Amino acid sequence: MDDAQLMVAVQHGDPAAFRILVEKYKRKAYYLALKLVGNSDDAYDLSQEAFIRVYNARRRYDRGRPFYAWFYAILSNLAKNHLRKRSVRFEYAAQIRGKSDQALDDSGAPDCIVEADEVRKALWAAIEKLSYDHREIIILRHFEDMPYEDIAKLLGIPVGSVMSRLYYARKKLRELLGEAYEG
Amino acid sequence: MKDEEIQALMMKVVDGVASPEEEGSLAEAIREDEKWKDELKAFRHIKEVTDQIRFKELPDTYWSGYWTGVYRRLERGLGWLLTSLGVMFLLGFAGYKGLTGLYSDPNLPLVVKIGVSLAGLGIIIMTVSVLRERLFARKHERYEKEVER
Repeated sequence: MDDAQLMVAVQHGDPAAFRILVEKYKRKAYYLALKLVGNSDDAYDLSQEAFIRVYNARRRYDRGRPFYAWFYAILSNLAKNHLRKRSVRFEYAAQIRGKSDQALDDSGAPDCIVEADEVRKALWAAIEKLSYDHREIIILRHFEDMPYEDIAKLLGIPVGSVMSRLYYARKKLRELLGEAYEG
Repeated sequence: MKDEEIQALMMKVVDGVASPEEEGSLAEAIREDEKWKDELKAFRHIKEVTDQIRFKELPDTYWSGYWTGVYRRLERGLGWLLTSLGVMFLLGFAGYKGLTGLYSDPNLPLVVKIGVSLAGLGIIIMTVSVLRERLFARKHERYEKEVER
C-alpha cells in the first residue's frame, strides 16, 4: 500500500495503517526536526507531535496531495512555532537577567553534530541565526539533498523562487560567517 | 545577463546540477564581473562544509519506543478532551443551577443580582472575543489547522 492508500485506511479508522506510516517516516521526521530546531529532545517531541497532528487532521487529508508534503507542512509549522516561542523565552530571560539574547541562545547545537570541529560549529551557529525561511531552504538543499523541484513542491513555490531563496540564504550565511571563514 | 539569472546559474553550479552550457555562461559572467567569483568560492566552501556535517544517531531504545510514545500521547489527548467536556458540562449545570437559584431568591439584594449579571456578561464578551481572535488567526495562517498555537 502506498502512503495515500494508508491515509485512506487511517481515515476509515485503521490504527494499524497509521502505525505503518509512523514507522515509515519516524526517522526522517526526527532528523528533519533536529536540523530545524537543533535540539534532540525537542526534535523527538516535535516529530511525535507532528504524527499526532496528522492523526487528528486525518479527515482533512487531500488524497491528491503527496502525504510527505502534507506531513512536512505540519512538521515545519510546528518547528517554526517552537523556534518562535524559544526566541521569545530567550528574549524575556535576557531582559530579566540583563544579558544579550545572543549569550543565551543555547539552542542545543552543536551537541547534535558528530565531530563538530570549529569550522562546522561556526557554520551550524550561523545556520541557526538565519531566518526560518532561509534556514529551511538550506536544510532541505544541503542536508536533505533535495532537488529544486522537490523543494518547490514541498514549499509550494516555483522552482525559480527556490533558487532565489537559496541564493539569498547562502549570501546571508556568508555574511554571518564573515571574512575569516571564506576558505 | 541579469543579476537574477547569474544568481540562479550560480546555485546550479554550486549544487552540481548545471549543464556545461550553463557553467560556460556563469564563467562568462564571472569574467565580466569579479564579484561573482568571490561569491561562488564562498558558496562552494559552505557547501563543502555542510556536506561534512553528520548528525548524532539516536539510541535504538528511542526508536523501539517511538510508536508507543505516539500512541500514549494520542490516548492522553483523548483523555483530556473527554475530561474537559465533562468538566464543561458540570460547570455549565452548576452555573445554571446557581443562577436560577440566585435570581429566584427574593431575599437577595437587587445590586447583587445586577453585579452577577454584569460579571457574567463580561465573561461572555471576553470569551467571544478570544474565540473570534483565534478563528481570525486560523483563517489567515498557512496550513491553518495544523499550526500549533
